[in-house]
Amino acid sequence: MNKTRSLLFRLGTVLILVGICVCMMIVGRGHTVYLDNKKIEVDGVEYAPPYKITVFVGGEQVAKLNARDRGMATCIGQNFEMTLKIMKEKGGEETTETYRLKLPYQLDGIVVNLPAYLAGLPEETWMSEFVSLATETSAEDEELPGGDEMDEFEMGDF
Amino acid sequence: MNNGFGKKIRNFIFDNTVPLMFVLICAVCIPLSGFSFSYLLNEIVTRMGRNIFLILCLLIPIMAGMGLNFGMTLGAMAGEIALILVSDWQIWGIPGVVLAMILSIPISVLLGYFCGKILNMAKGREMITSYIISFFMNGIYQLIVLYMMGPIIPIKHSSIKLPRGYGIRNTVSLLNMRQCLDNLLAVRIGGVKIPVLTFMIIGVLCLFIIWFRKTKLGQDMRAVGQDMNVARDAGIQVERTRIISMIMSTVLAGFGMVIYLQNMGNIATYSSHSQIGMFCIAALLVGGASVDKASIGNVFLGVILFHTMFIVAPKAGAQITGDSMIGEYFRVFVSYGVITVSLIMYETKKRKNKSLVGQQLAQAQKEEAKAHE
Repeated sequence: MNKTRSLLFRLGTVLILVGICVCMMIVGRGHTVYLDNKKIEVDGVEYAPPYKITVFVGGEQVAKLNARDRGMATCIGQNFEMTLKIMKEKGGEETTETYRLKLPYQLDGIVVNLPAYLAGLPEETWMSEFVSLATETSAEDEELPGGDEMDEFEMGDF
Repeated sequence: MNNGFGKKIRNFIFDNTVPLMFVLICAVCIPLSGFSFSYLLNEIVTRMGRNIFLILCLLIPIMAGMGLNFGMTLGAMAGEIALILVSDWQIWGIPGVVLAMILSIPISVLLGYFCGKILNMAKGREMITSYIISFFMNGIYQLIVLYMMGPIIPIKHSSIKLPRGYGIRNTVSLLNMRQCLDNLLAVRIGGVKIPVLTFMIIGVLCLFIIWFRKTKLGQDMRAVGQDMNVARDAGIQVERTRIISMIMSTVLAGFGMVIYLQNMGNIATYSSHSQIGMFCIAALLVGGASVDKASIGNVFLGVILFHTMFIVAPKAGAQITGDSMIGEYFRVFVSYGVITVSLIMYETKKRKNKSLVGQQLAQAQKEEAKAHE
């Protein structure tokens, strides 16, 4: 009886920990959202970028995008909320609106084309995966344990 | 009366030689370093939040009579592996820290069990054995991180993976969870940032240790620590108790390493864990602990004194000799030196007590023989 209770208690603890892990994986999934204020052409229709968009996330200004600019924001979780202050034309009036996006779990970097998004186009037209083109450092740059060095005592082969 | 007071002072100095020595070093070095009080306080508070959890994990094996657990490095490795995985899965902020802590548990339990089993085979030589186990495990850690991560354990991101396609880079960035624990609920008082949440976590662990000492298992550990044979005769499962103490210490070391690295903001994949045991043990000993006796107070005092010395030594060294490297050497020399001095003092005290008991026994026997005549 005592053994069964102990086993059940242990199983329960493991299950709770697994549950917390799953929750943390969902709640804590980080994304980098790249916000493009660039011209886009969909089915032959061209969507021009506004003159200036100021992006606020969590009450903080993260980007000020003129036409053809790209800004960046980070987001923990799948719900991304941003406030956009949009100036359609130079010297024009600014309108402020808050938008909520649902980010796909599996993507690390997500590019959002703001003109297409603001035009209310389907998701696949304004959302795409960010692919980094950064060049990788060469293998020689990394000094790894057991590489050139002989051993911790530097006695080498004797 | 005067003689008694003098003896008390002499005993106090003899019992607290190491902390007093450090108070003296700090008293000399602080004015020489020229650091402002608020800067010094800020640095000490930051280092307290970073290190205390790790050092607290050393108390449980000491309670069980297993000495200073150099095997805490194993827990640190578990924490690092968990953080590498969490970093690759892109789990950020507090959830990332919590997930890393939970992920480190099974690895720590496994390593702690292994370490406890071996230490049970090497009773009386736990410290040197755990020290060598940590070297051995470092090799296994390197095998896993350098060769198995990539082809066997999937690692997706090239920012973590080596350009050759397998293995982990020298440095893994934890930018997205950097100081997330420290900054949540942080309070600034007079320019000093106090990481309230981190201190709350440390406080919970302190309360847990105080509570644990009063539990049946805690009492068993103390009994085992005092005398294994007596504990065995009293029906305590000595080996099992020792293994549990090692597992608990390793799991807590894993948690401590996660807290430590989230504060630092990056993992030095192949070196973060290697010195952590040495510095934690040195800090605990500086606080006045010994191989068989340590308290929470020793941990706090040790961190304050040891890290004050760590902060001021390079600048003070530069002021005295004109070369800041002297200060760097000095603090490394002091870290190793304090461990050596403490171990020698412990052994001297033990032998002195043993000879005192022997003398008392001989005296008693003499008196008994006289009485019979």
